[in-house]
Amino acid sequence: MSLEKVETMQKISLEDALEIAKKGSHCGMCRFDFLGTGICPSGKKYGFLAYWPQGRMQIFKMLMSGKVKPSEKLIEIANSCTLCGICDKQCNFATQLRPEKVAKALKDYTNNLDKSEYQEVIEDDVIKGLREIVGEKWATNDPVIISSYVQTIIHPDSELNFYVVMPENAEEISKIIKFANQHNIPFMPRSGGTLLSCATPTVLSKAICLDHGIIIDLLRLKKLEVDVKSCTATVGAGITAFELQKEAHKHKLRANLAEAGAHVCSNIASTGITSTWQNRYGWAADNYIDVTIVDDKGTIRNNSDMEIKNPYTTERGFTDITLSPPGIITESTVKLHHIADDEDVILVPFEHLKDALSMIIKLAQRNVGVSLIVLSRKYLSEFLCPTNQIAKDFEYICKNYLKLNYVVDVIGNKDDKKIVEEMAECTIDKSMIKTLILGAPKLASLKNSEFLKVLSEEKNPCKAIFAGPMRKHLEKGLDASPEQIAKVFDADLQDFFKKVYSRPEMTDIIWLHSFRILPSRLMRQRLFFAQAGMIWSADQDKILRLVDMLSKVCDKYKLEHMLGFILPMDDGKYVFFEYDYYYNHNDPDATKRVSQALIETTEKCLLMGDILMVLNYLFKGLYRKEHVLYPIPKGISDEDLALFRELIVSILGDEFKW
Amino acid sequence: MVKFLSDEWNNISKEYILKKLDPEKDLRNVTTSLLAVIEHVPPNDSTMNFYLELQDGKLTNFIVNTGDTHVGKEAVFTVSGNYGTYRSILKGEMSMAVALLRGRLKLKGSKMKALQIIKPLDGVIVSLKEITDEFEE
Repeated sequence: MSLEKVETMQKISLEDALEIAKKGSHCGMCRFDFLGTGICPSGKKYGFLAYWPQGRMQIFKMLMSGKVKPSEKLIEIANSCTLCGICDKQCNFATQLRPEKVAKALKDYTNNLDKSEYQEVIEDDVIKGLREIVGEKWATNDPVIISSYVQTIIHPDSELNFYVVMPENAEEISKIIKFANQHNIPFMPRSGGTLLSCATPTVLSKAICLDHGIIIDLLRLKKLEVDVKSCTATVGAGITAFELQKEAHKHKLRANLAEAGAHVCSNIASTGITSTWQNRYGWAADNYIDVTIVDDKGTIRNNSDMEIKNPYTTERGFTDITLSPPGIITESTVKLHHIADDEDVILVPFEHLKDALSMIIKLAQRNVGVSLIVLSRKYLSEFLCPTNQIAKDFEYICKNYLKLNYVVDVIGNKDDKKIVEEMAECTIDKSMIKTLILGAPKLASLKNSEFLKVLSEEKNPCKAIFAGPMRKHLEKGLDASPEQIAKVFDADLQDFFKKVYSRPEMTDIIWLHSFRILPSRLMRQRLFFAQAGMIWSADQDKILRLVDMLSKVCDKYKLEHMLGFILPMDDGKYVFFEYDYYYNHNDPDATKRVSQALIETTEKCLLMGDILMVLNYLFKGLYRKEHVLYPIPKGISDEDLALFRELIVSILGDEFKW
Repeated sequence: MVKFLSDEWNNISKEYILKKLDPEKDLRNVTTSLLAVIEHVPPNDSTMNFYLELQDGKLTNFIVNTGDTHVGKEAVFTVSGNYGTYRSILKGEMSMAVALLRGRLKLKGSKMKALQIIKPLDGVIVSLKEITDEFEE
C-alpha cells in the first residue's frame, strides 16, 4: 500500500505519527523502569528492538519512507503493543514524545494492508546456522525487524542485508563469532545504542556502523549481582546504568556510571565511563575489577587470565584510527562506593568560564568533592526543565538577566561544602535547586518581566536572588510544587506527573546525579558532541582557547552549539570536556555540516596539542588510563597534518578535501 | 579478469601493476613491503597470503602463498583479515582505510609509516580491483 493511499485513509493520524517518529532520539529510556511504571510488555517478551517503542517508531519511519516493505512479522510487531501507555509516560519525561500514537498508527497501517503487500522472508543457511546456536526465537533476518536497528547501528542509507541475533551468554556469542568468521560475515555488538545513535548519521558512521552482517544484540545478558562485602557488582552486558545503580543503592552503595540508558559493559569499552563522579571514583580501568570478553576469534577470556597478552597495551596518537570495540564484553565486575551520610550538593554560579574553571581545578587539587563538574547554562537548563521550550526560556533568563552562564556543581561531605562556601561569593543550595526544578515553568514564564529586568541591574543578580533578600520572594513567586510542574504535560498525563514529581528522588539533585535520567533531555534537540576529550589543566588559557576555537568552527558551519561541561580528573591534573552541536538529524545538509565541523575541529585539536580527543580514547577505555593519557600529545607537524588530510580523503572521499 | 588468489591472478597482478602504475607519480618512489594475510578462505576455511614488495616505487615481488607467513623476508607491514573483507575491498565496497577503521583489517607495523604509503597502496588496490572479478562466495 502506498503512503498516498494510507494518507487518504487516515491523513492526520499518519502525518502526526510520522512527525513523532521522526523525532525519536533512540535515547533508550523506554527499555528500563526509571519512573516506576514497569516497562513495555512486548519489548520485555520479544526482546528485539522492533518490539520496543523506539523500534516501532523507527519501523514506522522506514515504512513511510518506503525504505522497508512490510513482512508478516509486522503484524506481530504491531499487535504485540497493548497500548498500555507506559512508553508515553517515559518518553514524555525525557523528550515529550508520544510513542503510543505511533504504535496505534502502525496498528492501523498494518490492519489495512493486503496480504499481497507483504514481502516473503527466506530462511537462508546463515539464519539456520544462527538459530542452531541461539534457538529459533532469537535470530532473525526479517527486514522489518532489522529496520528497527537503523539509526543506532545501521546507517540510514544502508541496505537491510543483516541478521540480528540475541544470545544469552558468552558461550553463545563465542559460537556466533566463530560461525561468522567461518562464513566471512562481519559482525558487531549492540547494547543500548545511545552512543551509536548520536554517531550514526554523521561521518563517524564510516568507523562505527556495520555495513552488512550480523548484529549481536546483547540485551538478554541480564546478570546483576551485588557483593556487599567486596563492594563490587557483577554485571551482564544487557544491564543499563540505571539498573545497576538501583541495585547498588539498595545497599547504600553507588557505581560510577554513564547516562541512565547506557549499558555498563559497553560503556567500559567505549568511553571508559565519564561522569561527574570521576573526580573521586576515577575513569576507565579505575571502574572495574575484571571483565569477560569474547575476542574477534571467538575466544572467551578474562582480563585476569594469566596467559593473556598484556591487556593494557594500546596504540597512541592520531594514527590509531580504529574505532571498533576491542571485543565483546559480556560481563564485568565493577567497583561500588559507599555513600556518605552527610553528602550534600552545592552549585556556584559564574558569569565567565575562566572563573568557573579556576575554581573547579582548585577544588580538585585540594581533593574537594566526590562529584565535581562545571556545567554550562545549556546543560543546566535542559536538565532542570521538563520541556524544550521551558529550557530555552530558562536559559535565556540565565544568560540575559542572571548572568549565570556556568555553574560549578559540587557534591561532597559537609567539610567539602564548607570549603566551597568559603571560596564562593554566592551559592545555590539543595533546597533552592528543588525550587528551581519544580518552579522552572513559572520562572521561564517570567522571561520578559519587570521583576527580572530590575534583578538584572543588580551587580550580582545571582547573589541577590539566590542568597539575598529576594530569595524569599523567588521561592514564593515560583509556587514550586508537583501540581504546578505537572501542568506543563499533556492533560491526560498530568495526574501521573504530579505523582512523579511528588516523589522525593525526582527533586533530589544527588539522586539525579547518581541515576542520570536527565541527560536524555539533551536529545530533545538532538545533541552530538563536536569534540570531547581530555586536556591538561596546567595551562588554563589553553582550555579557554580550545573552547573558543570549537565555538568559531561551529559558527562557521552555522550550527547551534555550546560547551556542555568540564570535569576534573586525577586531582585536577587534567580535565574532561564536551562541546556539543544541536541539529536536526533528519536534515542531510545539517548532518553534512556536523561532519565537516567534526573533521575540522579534530584537525585543529591535533595542531594545538595537549588534547586527547574522541579518536584517542573511544574504545580504548578498557585499558589503564595511563596508557591512553601519556605521553601528553604534542601538536602535530605540517608533514603529519598532510598525512592526516590524506587519510581523511582516503576514508571519506574528496568531499572532505581541504 | 581472473579469480582472486589464483595462480593466474598472481601472474597478471604483477604484470598489471608494473604496466599501469607509475613509480614516481602513483607509487611515490616508496620502498616497502606488505604481507596481506587472508583468513577463512573458502571452501576449506584455509589461510592464504600475498606478499608485495616495492623498491623505489617499482614492484619487485608479488607472491601468493598459503599459510599466514611469507617464507623469506619479513614484511614491513602485515595486514590480516577475513576473506570476506578482502572481497569487499576488491569489489570496491569498502576502502582499505575504512576496513582498518572498522577493525576489519588488523595492521602490524608502524602506523605512521603506514599512513605514508596509504596513497600508493590505494593505487595498487585499484589495479587489483581492475583485474579481479571472481571470488569464492
